[in-house]
Amino acid sequence: MSAKYMLTVEDVSKTYDGFKAITDLTFYLFEGELRTVIGPNGAGKSTFFDLITGRAKPDKGKIEFGFDTDLTELNEYEINRLGIGRKFQTPSVFTEHTVFNNLVLSLKGSRGVFASLFNRLSSTDRDRIDELLKLIRLDGKRGWKAGQLAHGEKQWLEIGMLLAQDPKILLVDEPAAGMTDEETHRTGELLISLAGKHSIVVIEHDMTFVKQIARDGQVTVLHQGRVLCEGKFDAVQANPKVREVYLGRGKTHK
Amino acid sequence: MSSLSTRHKAELIAVGLIALFFIVIFPLLNAHGLVSDFTINLWGKYLCYALLAISVDLLWGYTGLLSLGQALFFSLGGYMMGMYLMRMIGDLGQYHKPIPDFLVFLGWTELPKFWKPFDSFPFAFSLILLLPGLLALVFGFLAFRSRIKGVYFSILTQALTYGASLMFFRNDMLMGGNNGFTDFKFILGHDLRQPATQRGLFIVTAVVLLLVYASLRLLSHTKFGLVQRAIRDGENRVLFSGYATAHFKLFIFVVAALIASIGGALYVPQVGIINPSEMTPDKSLEAVVWCAVGGRGTLVGPILGAIGVNSLKSWASRAAPDYWLVILGGLFVVVVLLLPGGIVSIPARLKAFAQRFRRPPEVAAVAAAPAPTPVVSESKPSV
Amino acid sequence: MRFLIRLLLLFSPGLMASVCSAAEAPRAVLTAAILAKDEARKIELITSLAGEADDAIKPLLTAWKEDGLFLYQPSADVAPVPVQLTGEKDANDTQAALRVDSGRPLLDAAGKPVRLAAGDLTAVEHDADLRHAMKDVLDLLDLSTPDVAKRIQAIQAIGFAQDVGKIPALEKRLGLEANADARRSLREAVAVTRLKDSSETAKLAALKELRELHSLSSYDLIRTAMRDAEAARQTEIAVAARSALKAIDAHKSKINFYGTLFRGLSLGSILLIVAIGLAITFGLMGVINMAHGEMIAIGAYTTYLVENIFGEGLVIPCFGFSLSIPGIHATGWFYQSYFFVALPLSFLTAALVGIGLERSIIRFLYRRPLESLLATWGVSLLLQQGLKLMFGSNNVQVNSPVYLSGNWTVDDITFGWNRIFVIGFAALIVFGVWLILTKTPLGLLIRAVMQNRNMASCMGVRTERVNMLTFGLGSGLAGLAGAFISQIGNVGPSLGQNYIVDCFMTVVVGGVGNLAGTLYSALGIGLVDQSLQQILLNPVLGKILVLVAIILFLQWRPSGLFVTRSRNLDD
Repeated sequence: MSAKYMLTVEDVSKTYDGFKAITDLTFYLFEGELRTVIGPNGAGKSTFFDLITGRAKPDKGKIEFGFDTDLTELNEYEINRLGIGRKFQTPSVFTEHTVFNNLVLSLKGSRGVFASLFNRLSSTDRDRIDELLKLIRLDGKRGWKAGQLAHGEKQWLEIGMLLAQDPKILLVDEPAAGMTDEETHRTGELLISLAGKHSIVVIEHDMTFVKQIARDGQVTVLHQGRVLCEGKFDAVQANPKVREVYLGRGKTHK
Repeated sequence: MSSLSTRHKAELIAVGLIALFFIVIFPLLNAHGLVSDFTINLWGKYLCYALLAISVDLLWGYTGLLSLGQALFFSLGGYMMGMYLMRMIGDLGQYHKPIPDFLVFLGWTELPKFWKPFDSFPFAFSLILLLPGLLALVFGFLAFRSRIKGVYFSILTQALTYGASLMFFRNDMLMGGNNGFTDFKFILGHDLRQPATQRGLFIVTAVVLLLVYASLRLLSHTKFGLVQRAIRDGENRVLFSGYATAHFKLFIFVVAALIASIGGALYVPQVGIINPSEMTPDKSLEAVVWCAVGGRGTLVGPILGAIGVNSLKSWASRAAPDYWLVILGGLFVVVVLLLPGGIVSIPARLKAFAQRFRRPPEVAAVAAAPAPTPVVSESKPSV
Repeated sequence: MRFLIRLLLLFSPGLMASVCSAAEAPRAVLTAAILAKDEARKIELITSLAGEADDAIKPLLTAWKEDGLFLYQPSADVAPVPVQLTGEKDANDTQAALRVDSGRPLLDAAGKPVRLAAGDLTAVEHDADLRHAMKDVLDLLDLSTPDVAKRIQAIQAIGFAQDVGKIPALEKRLGLEANADARRSLREAVAVTRLKDSSETAKLAALKELRELHSLSSYDLIRTAMRDAEAARQTEIAVAARSALKAIDAHKSKINFYGTLFRGLSLGSILLIVAIGLAITFGLMGVINMAHGEMIAIGAYTTYLVENIFGEGLVIPCFGFSLSIPGIHATGWFYQSYFFVALPLSFLTAALVGIGLERSIIRFLYRRPLESLLATWGVSLLLQQGLKLMFGSNNVQVNSPVYLSGNWTVDDITFGWNRIFVIGFAALIVFGVWLILTKTPLGLLIRAVMQNRNMASCMGVRTERVNMLTFGLGSGLAGLAGAFISQIGNVGPSLGQNYIVDCFMTVVVGGVGNLAGTLYSALGIGLVDQSLQQILLNPVLGKILVLVAIILFLQWRPSGLFVTRSRNLDD
C-alpha cells in the first residue's frame, strides 16, 4: 500500500443543536484503499460523509483532499469536481429522467452552464454509457424513467452514476440496502475491482458484505461520533468494545 | 432517441401549421375584413400574455422555481417601450408641449435627463433587454447564492415586485405615477391607431412567440435542459453531481426575465397603456394561474393557458363582471387540487382512465402517472 | 388712566370684584358700556368683564371691534337700543337683529321680530383705547377658558405676540393656574415675551428659562433674539441664546428618537399581531396561506358589523340582496364596549373560516407548500370577491371607541392611545399564544404533530384534528389582528393585500417555525421602517428600503434570525 494520503480528516467535530454528531474524528484514506466504515445507528457515519462532501461544515478540524486542498472551504459541487463522488444512503437518482439521461448527467466532463448548452454526446461518451449500462445491468431499461425502477435497480443506477463521474474517491453509503444476496455479492465484487484505481470508503451495515469487501483491508468502527477502533475485519469483530456497542446490542446482522 | 422522431415530426408539423395560421392567415383575414381589428388586437394581447406565461413556466414548470415576480419584468419591458412611445407622441399631447403630459402636469417644463435617450428606439429596445436582465441578474445572484429556494424564493420575488410597484405608483419617480403611460400615437413612424400597424404588431408578437417556443424546445433537449429539470426534481443530487446549480438557475432566471420583458414591450403598444397595477404581485399570480391551468412543465401548456384563461376573462368580464375573480379563484383551486397537470394532461388522464378497465390496477397506476406532471414541491430525494 | 385700570384689574381681584359689584349680567354691563357717554366709564365697564365666564362676551366684544354692533333708535324720543345684526341678508339688505342686552330678537311694538339694514343704523363707536381694553379682556378671557387645550392655545398666541405689556397678565394667570401643562405654557409665554424686554438681565433670565423648558415653539423667536443680539454685539445674550437653541435641539432629537422608537414599536406590534397567525400556519404547519390577509379582512369586517349592530344597524348589499341588520342603538359606555365584544367574535369568525378552508382544501396539500400557496391564493380571490359582494366594494369606516382615540403627551412626545393599546395587546397575544403552545394539552399536541406528523399519528394523536385546530388558531389570530386594523385604518375588501407581503417578510426574517423569531423580527422591522421614515421623510421609499434590507439580510442569514436546525438538512 502506498503511503500517499487521498483524504486527511483530523480532529473534526460537528454538533447539531447540541447533539454531537462527530467528535474529534481523525481518519486517513490512502490512495487505492478500500476502507469499510461500520457503526450502529447514530454513530455519525452519514454526517462523516456530509462533512467530506461539503454538505455540512465542521465546527473545527481539518479536512483535506490529497495534500493541500482544504475541503472545508469548498462547496458541494467544487468538491465533486475535485473528484470526490458520493452514493447516498437512500438511492437518489433523477426520477423524472431516463436511465440513460441519468448517466449523461453524471458523465465526467464540463459542468458549466454554457458548456451544457452546446454539449453534444461524443461517440466515446455513448460507448462509455453503453458500457456502464451493461455493467449495472440496466441496458434493457435505458429508456425507462429512473423513478419507475425497483429499489435495487436504483441503487445500481446510482452506482453507475458514481462510476460515470470517474472520481478519485468514492464515498459509498450502504450500497447493498434493498438488494438481493446475489446483487449484494456482485456489488462487493464491483467495489473490490474498483479498489486500486480509486480510493473507496464504504459505509455498511451488512456484516457479510463487510466481510466480503474488507478482505484484509482496514475497517473503521464509529461510535457516538468517535472512532471506536480500526483494524482488520477479524480483529474488529473480536474486539470486545465493538461487540458491546455494536453486536452486543442484540442486533443481528447477517 | 430515434424512436421519438415520428413524434417530433408530428409536433413540427403541428407547430408549423399553427404558426402559419397566426403569422400569415389570421392577419390576411384581418386585412380583408374577415377578422375584426378588435379580435386581432385581442389575440395580440393573448400572445403577449403567452410569453409571460412561458417565462413563468420556464422557471416553475422546468426548474422548480415559482417566481411571483414575472409581472415585474413584463411591466419593466412595457415601461421601457412606453417611455419610447411617450416620446413619440411629440407635442400631440393634451397640453401640446414637447414633453409628456404627466410631466407638464407635475410642473416640469423640460424633459428630465433620464428620459432624453428614449427618443431613440434602439436605446429603448436595448433597455428592454438590459434593465430586466440586470435586475434579474442581481436579484437572482443574491437569492441563489444564499440558496433561497422553494416558497422562500416565491415570497421574495413577490416582495420584489411589490416594492417595485410601490415605487412606480409614486409621482416623483417621473414614470407617470398611478396612471402610467397612455395615449400613444406612433411607433417607428407608424400610426398606432391604424389597423395595419396593429396587424404588424400582431405578426411580430406571433413571430417572437414562435421563436421563443422553438428555442426553448431546443434548450430542453440540450444537456442544459436535462440539468434544469434535474434541479427541479432534486437539486441536491445535481449539486453533488458537480453542477453549480446556482449558475444554472441564475441563467434561466435571466432568460425568463428577458422573455417576460419582451412580452411586456410588445403588449404596451397593442393595449395602449401601462401602469403600475401591471406589476402588483396579483398579476404575477395570475400568470401562474395561466401556466397551471394550461399545464406546467410543457411549452404548449402555458400558451394554451394564457389564451384560454384570458378568453374566459374577456367573456366573464362582459357576462358577469362581479364574478370574474370568483371564477379565477375557483378555477385555480380546482386545478391545483384536481388537475395538477393542467389542460394538457387531460388526454393522458382520459387514456389512463380508460385503461383502468382493461388492465389490473397496479399496472394502470404506473401508466396513470403521466409524463408532464412533475411534483415540484418536495420531490427532492432524501439525500 | 387706562394703565391704572389695568393695574387695578390685574393686581386686585378684590377691587375688580368691587367694580362689578352689581354682579350684573355681562350683557347688561356691555349694554351699559355701549351707552355710557364717558370714555373712562366705558373702559371701566369693559374691563370689569374680565374674568367673567360668559360665552356671550367674546362674540359681542369682537363684533363691537369689527363694527358689528349698532344702535337702534326708531325715533329720537326713544332710548337707543344696542343690537347685533346676524344672519343672511334678504332682498332688502336687512338682517335679523338681536338685542345686546338679552340676546333675544328685537321686537317691534306688535311683538314681531324687526329686520334692519346696516346702512340705516349707526354703528357703535370704538376708538383705539377702547379696542385695547377690549383686547385685554379678550386675551384674559381666553387665558381663563375652562377648556385646557383652548387655554394653552391662547397662552401660546399671546406668547408669540411678544407684547411686553402682556407679561403682568400672564404672570397673574400663572399664579392662579393649576394645570401643569398650562403652567408650562405660561412660563414659556412669559419668557418668550421677555425676549423683547429692553433689560439685558431680563433677557438672560428668559433665555435661561427657555433653555430649561426646552421650548420647541419658541425656537425661531430665540434665533431671532440671537441674531439681534449678535447685531447689537451683546455677546452674553447671544451666547445664552445659542445655548438655549442647543438645548432645544437636543430636546428635539430626543423627541424624535423616542417618537420613532414608539412608532416603531407600535408598527412592530401591528406586524406582530398580523404575522403571528401566519407564524403558526406557515411556521409550524408549513402551509403558505395566501388567504391570511383575507382572514384579517374578515376580522375587520366582523368588528365593523358589531360596531354597527351596537349602533344604528346597517344595510349591506349582501350578494345583490339588500340585507338590513337592525342595531340595538346602544349609547354611552355600553356602545363604547362594542370593541370587547368584537374581539372574540372576530377571532371566532376568522377561525371558523380558517377551519373550513383547512378541511376543504389545505388538508390535501400538506407537504406541497408551493401548491398550497397557489390554492390559497385562489381562495384569497374568492374571499375578496365574497367580501366585496357582501359589503360593497367601497371602504367602510369603523368608529373607534373613545378610549382608543386621543393622545398622551409626555415631555412633548405624543403617544396615541390606539398605538399604546396595540402594543399592550400585542404583548397580551404573544403571551396568550405562548401559554397555548406550552401550557395546554392542545399546545403539546400541536408541537408533537408539527415535529413529526407520522410519529404523532402512530402515537395515537388525531393529527387531522390537531391540524384543523392549529389552522383555526392561526386564522383566528389573523381575525383578531383585523379587529385592530379596523381601528387604525380603513376597512375594505382588499385590506388583507396590504399586509400579506409584510406578514410573510416578518415570518421569513424571524426564521420559519420559530415564534420568538417572529417577535424579534416584527419589532425589528417596525423600528427599522420607522427610523428610515424619520431619516428619509418618505414612507414609500422607507418601505422599499426595508424590502431591500430584508433581501440583503437573508444573504447573511438565509434561514432567518432563528434557525430551527435539525440533523435533517433536507430543507
